[in-house]
Amino acid sequence: MSGHGFLLAAYVPGTSLVHRAPLWLKFLLVVGCGMTSFLIADWAVSAAMLVLLCGLFLLSGAGPARLFRAVRPVLPVLVAIGLFQWWQLGAPTAARIVLNVLVCVVAASILTATTPVQALLDGVASLARPFRRFGADPERFALTIAIMLRSIPFVAQAYTDVRDSARARGLERNPRALVLPVFISTVAFARQTGEALAARGLGEPEDPED
Amino acid sequence: MSIIVLDRVSVRVPVDGRPAPKTLLQELSLDLTERRIGVIGANGSGKSTLLRLLNGLVAPSGGTVRIDGADTVRAVREVRRRVGFVFTDPLSQLVMPTGREDVELSLRRSIRNATERRVHAESVLERFGLLPLADQSIYELSGGERQLLALAAVLAVEPEVLVLDEPSTLLDLRNRELLRRTLAGLRQQVILSTHDLDLARDMDRVLVVDAGKVVFDGEPAAAVAHYRALSAAGLPSAGGPAGGRLEQA
Amino acid sequence: MTQTDRPATARTPRRRGRWNATDLGLIAVFAALVAASALIAAIPVGGLGVPITLQTLAVMLTGLALGPGRAFAAVGLYMLLGFAGLPIFSGGRSGLGVLAGPSAGYIIGFLLAATAVGWLTVVVLKRTAHRTGRLRAILLFAAAMLSSIIFIHGLGILGMMVNAKLDFSKAFLADLVFYPGDIIKNVLAVSIALALHKAFPDLLLRRVRTVDPRP
Repeated sequence: MSGHGFLLAAYVPGTSLVHRAPLWLKFLLVVGCGMTSFLIADWAVSAAMLVLLCGLFLLSGAGPARLFRAVRPVLPVLVAIGLFQWWQLGAPTAARIVLNVLVCVVAASILTATTPVQALLDGVASLARPFRRFGADPERFALTIAIMLRSIPFVAQAYTDVRDSARARGLERNPRALVLPVFISTVAFARQTGEALAARGLGEPEDPED
Repeated sequence: MSIIVLDRVSVRVPVDGRPAPKTLLQELSLDLTERRIGVIGANGSGKSTLLRLLNGLVAPSGGTVRIDGADTVRAVREVRRRVGFVFTDPLSQLVMPTGREDVELSLRRSIRNATERRVHAESVLERFGLLPLADQSIYELSGGERQLLALAAVLAVEPEVLVLDEPSTLLDLRNRELLRRTLAGLRQQVILSTHDLDLARDMDRVLVVDAGKVVFDGEPAAAVAHYRALSAAGLPSAGGPAGGRLEQA
Repeated sequence: MTQTDRPATARTPRRRGRWNATDLGLIAVFAALVAASALIAAIPVGGLGVPITLQTLAVMLTGLALGPGRAFAAVGLYMLLGFAGLPIFSGGRSGLGVLAGPSAGYIIGFLLAATAVGWLTVVVLKRTAHRTGRLRAILLFAAAMLSSIIFIHGLGILGMMVNAKLDFSKAFLADLVFYPGDIIKNVLAVSIALALHKAFPDLLLRRVRTVDPRP
């Protein structure tokens, strides 16, 4: 299952400067980099940012191999987009678009490679705290995110199983029969998860009455 | 020991296209006070429903269930703090990507300080011999290790009662043995359903459930004998395809 | 007997408008389903082995299966995590930068389409409670098509016009390519949703039908 490496760079324990940096700063970095595509008009600035971020990533001690693994899934798409935009809008714009995507991926990877999931959850919970007065429940919000993250490999596996069994039987002509098991098992899994949460006393709304 | 009292409890669910609801559990009254209680019975007999009543996962359609006086509907939070529940499939129960994080999640409500939480989680994992596996993905653990981890995460909050729904069904023989030993060493009151008759024999008291009714209640050996007779009775004589109805779980 | 007919599967007594743990599980897992559908390589289907990606299927199914509120939460959670940097948009992209890309309209369209079809699903299920299954299937398909044309294709075209500076006719043509696949996917989504509601009657149907003022 560890083959599903699309959850960015996984947490690498360490004590580097990046590890010790406050979580809000790393959050800010990710959000800030997400805005670059609106704000930066010059590809050279994007390139400089990318170099800087790669340097930060390596400073954490997670290593170039992990960095490459985090970037690899987006490369084919970036090549396609880059070539298309080069043809449509010219080289500088194409370079800027491609570099900005890479900036986002590396920034997010810095966050995930240097922050354990628990700390991320605490962070999300505290971010959501101001919304409490509007009925938000930070703990349940964070919990939902955690369940989503841990469910992606399950769903991916369900798809893989279905594809394998379709291959084993030859091409399935009825697409409904092919994909239905994925969704049935997904819903069953979701409900079991919910039940297990309830049984552990997690995820239920706080009752103001008692 | 906790005192668990089921008072004239019944469970019914509505069924689409039928005017009358389906009865999952017929009216029954029980006092559960023994340290080790087993529930055996065929698939779909009502075992799971009976166990789910004990921590409020299923609400009774009639009657009440009380754990040391706490009603499972009105005081569901209190009940769930007292009664830990372990499911057949640990993968549906483990929420976090690694064992360490899952145990820490269990402790989120009881221990607010992150460092204390971490220390306590380590001691729990240590106790179950899971510390070396603490940072591995739960998907990389074996079925036995996962079940043990699910158990550890539930026991981390020190419930008084532990309810287990067919905990050994997905385990191989070796891991069943490990589970039996682990359960035998717990201070908690244990109530479990199982198809594993060896596990049932370890209990102090065994209930046999059939078609939503408790049809036997007593010594493990006698209960297992009763269950064997009951299971054989429904089957056709030898030869031909098995004619016993396959009921849904 | 002291009380009558409290549904046994009510995990906890449901309070108005609050999601219980099962709802959270459904929201989270459907968000994961949408994410995984964007990432998993397409499945070859049918005699020609034409590959289809399943993301729009997953999005529409989320609405058809969960109804408007939980579908909005599920697709919203997916988008939020994608914007926050998790590479779960199609092709492994992520970040707010996606909003500047040509597919921005489609991604925003997903959220609105899932919510709209969820809302229409509840209406259809209520109105056809005593009708034949076929009418229900046809109406749900119409709801799915309407939602995806207005929101996914509508915003998709708008997104290409704004971000890729295409004029309307070019954007319209670029979008047209997706129609045949979408029709097939909506047919599939409806038939899968009906199967899900049959397998799990309290997923949405029972919640819809018991519009019962009792607590």
